[in-house]
Amino acid sequence: MSSAREVIRDSPNVIVRFNEPHRIYQPRAALILRYSIEGIDNEKVRAVERSVLWYTEGKGEEDLGVHFFERLSDRSKPTPTLTAGSFSTQLPFSPLSYEGVIVKVRWCVRVRIFFEGSRDFVSEHVFEMGQIPPANTGGGRLP
Amino acid sequence: MKLPRFFGKKRGHRRTGSQAWGSFGEGLFYCGLLVIGLIFAGLLLSGLAVPEWRSGHNFIQTRCTVVGKGLSRHTVINAQGTSVQQWQPCLRVRYQALQLTRDSWSKPLRGGMLNDRPAALKQLAAWRLGEELTCWYDPADSQNVVLERGYNWWMWSMALVLPSVLIIFGGSGLMRAVRVWGKSEERRAASAGLPELFESTDYSPAEAPGYPGVPTCDDLINSPGTILRYRLPVESPESWTLLGFGLFAILWNAVVAVLAVGAGLDLLGGHIDWLLFALLVPFVAVGIASISIFLRSLVLASAVGTSQLEISDHPLRPGQRYDVLLGQGGSGTFRTLKLYLEAEEQATFRQGTDTRTERLIVWSRQIMEWKDMQLTPGIRFETRVSIDIPVDAMHSLTSEHNAVSWRIVVQGTPERWPSFTRIFPVVIFPSADNRLLPLEKRSTPNQELTP
Repeated sequence: MSSAREVIRDSPNVIVRFNEPHRIYQPRAALILRYSIEGIDNEKVRAVERSVLWYTEGKGEEDLGVHFFERLSDRSKPTPTLTAGSFSTQLPFSPLSYEGVIVKVRWCVRVRIFFEGSRDFVSEHVFEMGQIPPANTGGGRLP
Repeated sequence: MKLPRFFGKKRGHRRTGSQAWGSFGEGLFYCGLLVIGLIFAGLLLSGLAVPEWRSGHNFIQTRCTVVGKGLSRHTVINAQGTSVQQWQPCLRVRYQALQLTRDSWSKPLRGGMLNDRPAALKQLAAWRLGEELTCWYDPADSQNVVLERGYNWWMWSMALVLPSVLIIFGGSGLMRAVRVWGKSEERRAASAGLPELFESTDYSPAEAPGYPGVPTCDDLINSPGTILRYRLPVESPESWTLLGFGLFAILWNAVVAVLAVGAGLDLLGGHIDWLLFALLVPFVAVGIASISIFLRSLVLASAVGTSQLEISDHPLRPGQRYDVLLGQGGSGTFRTLKLYLEAEEQATFRQGTDTRTERLIVWSRQIMEWKDMQLTPGIRFETRVSIDIPVDAMHSLTSEHNAVSWRIVVQGTPERWPSFTRIFPVVIFPSADNRLLPLEKRSTPNQELTP
């Protein structure tokens, strides 16, 4: 399993573990993710949103497509129940991750934590879907 | 309580605004529109529409006698700050209401306000003292009497349309702002159904079913080919230029024709308007020039003949080979005729108040080139070639602001005419075989700390 930890001062640490060691997935593959949130101390977690999505980067405005979304906000659940968990989803056929010149497509898992009050914290973990080589390099590409 | 920050994260070279403050400002704006619409509607309804409706439905009909006549004067301050007098004929009538005899001034509906006092007096003369008329009085206030009933449809349309537009626009915007308030962008993007009605009317391209982000190719497979399966539609930049020149020439010369007819009628009447004639000279010159440019473009576009492309299958898939039939009409010698496969990235972004689209060809491969071709009129050049879609090609992508488009391009250089480019869009779907590419072994640390 591949894992990553996001550390920001005064922010929670979100540890995620992907089922693919190199975080490279084929279309229609199963993505299984385990996560745990640390460093929230005594802050009360109101809800946790976990999503699998793609977004565009580059020169254009950002476009975003959500493939999987789940919000856990059961107030009866104690905070530890919300701050650790796992989910799985079957990835779609498209769009594939793409490193273009002015258009880029990224896939990621986001874990967004909502605290009591209005504060929220988001942790983003990029993975790749498909294996398209970057544009502007290799045979046939324009210089 | 901590207030939301004014600025969000920095993406690329742009700083995105704070979502919370943005939603608040947007909500405030739409709330303002809604309130203005409601106030406007209230004023129009209570001041104009309701009294008119009440006089049509609640007022009681009776007979009255004209006992007095007069002109009501209104002083109106116009935009230049000067005052203008307006006149309206008024009648004083006597009638029986609720067992009592009433005398009251009534304003007849017809005529309305007049700027010309003699005209108002002339209108007033139509009524004679002692004349018996039908009138309607308000049972709640018997002094309130009208001599005509009916609806001012213009006023009713204004009362309904203008506030309705503000209320609908403001209300839907406010609902949208409330709906997204406090919700993450993932949650908003994931929500579907009724709330989508309240989304802004941004262009959302059609996606192929089951393939998010991939454009549909329905428009590209609705024309069968003569030899191969589909005939591809052409997207020629020259055609749009030609259409632009044509429209300009038509509109401009229509204006010139109107001016010329006016000048001609003056001339026939023995009156010469030198200013109009002086104006006509440059207008006619531009009109002639626009027709010449349009005709030249038309000759250039049609002289080299049409290009036609047929393909053996569609949509295309990476790693597959497809047959393409190129048909080129025209006459004379072509120095070169080239066929390309290209990928173009398109990014739409806002720059100030402008929306700009940047296009960049990121992949191009020449499929075939023919040199020194001699085309015979009436017999088109036809050739069949194969196109290999690279196994690692990015599929066609379409989203609201970004796109990756594939196309087959025909570039020709006739000996006697300028070069031309004709574009035939195609759609590449992701590979049906996910295992075409072996995954590279990339070194990703098992435990990674990212600040």
